[in-house]
Amino acid sequence: MILLNNDLSDLAQAIVHGKAPSSQIDTSNQNYSVAIGIEVYRNNYRGNLHDTLVGVYPVIEQLVGKDFFRLLTRRFIGQNLSRSGNLDHYGAEMADFVAAFEPAQELAYLPDVAALEWACHCAYFADDAASLDIDKLAQIPPEQYPNLILHIHPACHLVRSRYPITAIWHAHQLSASGDFHIDLDSGSSNALVSRKNDVVLVDKLTEADAAWLQSIQAGTQLGEATASTLEHYPDFNLQAALLKLVAQNVFENFTLGETP
Amino acid sequence: MKKPANDSLQCIAGIGLRAPHYCEVLEKLPKLGWVEVHNENFSGGGAPLRTLLKVREHYPVSLHGVGMGLASTAPLDQAHLSALHRLCEAVQPAAVSEHLCWNAVPDMNINGSMVINDLLPFPYTLEALSHVAGRVEQVQETLGRRLLLENLSSYLSFTSSEMSESEFLSELSRRTGCAILFDVNNLYVNARNLGVDAKAFIKSLPADAVAEYHLAGHCMRDGCLVDTHSTQVCTEVWELYEFALQQIGPRPTLIEWDSDIPALTVLQGEAEKAQYRLEKYHDFAK
Repeated sequence: MILLNNDLSDLAQAIVHGKAPSSQIDTSNQNYSVAIGIEVYRNNYRGNLHDTLVGVYPVIEQLVGKDFFRLLTRRFIGQNLSRSGNLDHYGAEMADFVAAFEPAQELAYLPDVAALEWACHCAYFADDAASLDIDKLAQIPPEQYPNLILHIHPACHLVRSRYPITAIWHAHQLSASGDFHIDLDSGSSNALVSRKNDVVLVDKLTEADAAWLQSIQAGTQLGEATASTLEHYPDFNLQAALLKLVAQNVFENFTLGETP
Repeated sequence: MKKPANDSLQCIAGIGLRAPHYCEVLEKLPKLGWVEVHNENFSGGGAPLRTLLKVREHYPVSLHGVGMGLASTAPLDQAHLSALHRLCEAVQPAAVSEHLCWNAVPDMNINGSMVINDLLPFPYTLEALSHVAGRVEQVQETLGRRLLLENLSSYLSFTSSEMSESEFLSELSRRTGCAILFDVNNLYVNARNLGVDAKAFIKSLPADAVAEYHLAGHCMRDGCLVDTHSTQVCTEVWELYEFALQQIGPRPTLIEWDSDIPALTVLQGEAEKAQYRLEKYHDFAK
């Protein structure tokens, strides 16, 4: 496979980095030059990745405009190689990329909006899973509640931000109506991404609910997660939070942990 | 390899089904022989899978891959393969196909793969043949079924090739038991771009191994025909298709259209043209 790998690596370097290909490429073709053949592949390569990013980050594209987004994706593609034969896996690094992208520094909320869009993208393609069986949960004796470990549905994500990203995201959906005025100083926003009946939902969580869910996501038992949340947010209401999150299809199932 | 499942596609024309037509197809249930989808678009659950399962209730489905990279020198992506396996279990497709191409090389910097999400050509050597054959066998073993492998449209060729693409495909089929998906437009593109003798290619294919035809449109950029799947099938490709129907015989035939996707009725019109020719040459068996 050594010779094959030499030929493929050489063509890969030509397509991705624009390096001159080796002499293994047949140059006897009369219709067009090798450079044009390489350019077709280079255009395909960059075009496919650009189109993928347009599909994943429609809100970012609206926020910065088409031309700026094209500049942004060109730089992103230059710095981030594809690692999967499935294009749906491309673009995960966008939040980190825009955080460091000099021309977008004024838009401080952009990285968190990108993180939210990536979470929505992942939620859309996530595996199917069961929804929490409330009847089964009701059979657990109350003294064992503190030991409950709630397992998060694969389509559920929490994106916490200092900026009102939930409002920004909703204002840029096709279904949004009218001009939204969003006060960027209106405070933090905890965006809950979930999938219900195959539809991806984005909802805002309170600080207390988000802190509790983050703890649960980390695998913390119900008792400990609730106690630590109440320490910081004395008005945290476990029952209300559970009802809301179960309704949002956040949990897949539960197990019982050991008493610490 | 386990007992290969018979491909149950009927010898009629179908269309490539893409996202813009999902709703219309499920609402109107138009007369379509069968549909083919890209399996990469259905690698998880949720709405995409649910939609495909609904489509499957009404039409035979063929799964067509663009991302396995069977000639890649990077290791076979096991996650990609197991996603395809799960999809096969869920959908019970009438056929599963991939391309004779590569998309990834090892990236020593990260101990991983550098992927180019495209269908890329490689030199047709004995070394490549045994490499690709091993990977095709792995895929067939995992899926427990025969794979259909499609000839490629190429914009470059290699001086290191030791055989033609048709010789490579024929030998690959002989070694692994894989079938051949003959894309007539790809052959036409290669004939124009690289000087491949199209009729000789068709005559040299083992007719018994050919299990499906693809038809599509292309466009011209800087003297190079690019396989864009963005237009109607051109006259020359219809002529080559008829030549193939006489030489090889009628097989399930797909109309592919992937960019600038037109109204569903346009695809149906193209499929009718293919169906007409399938019936015209139905006596040319084998």
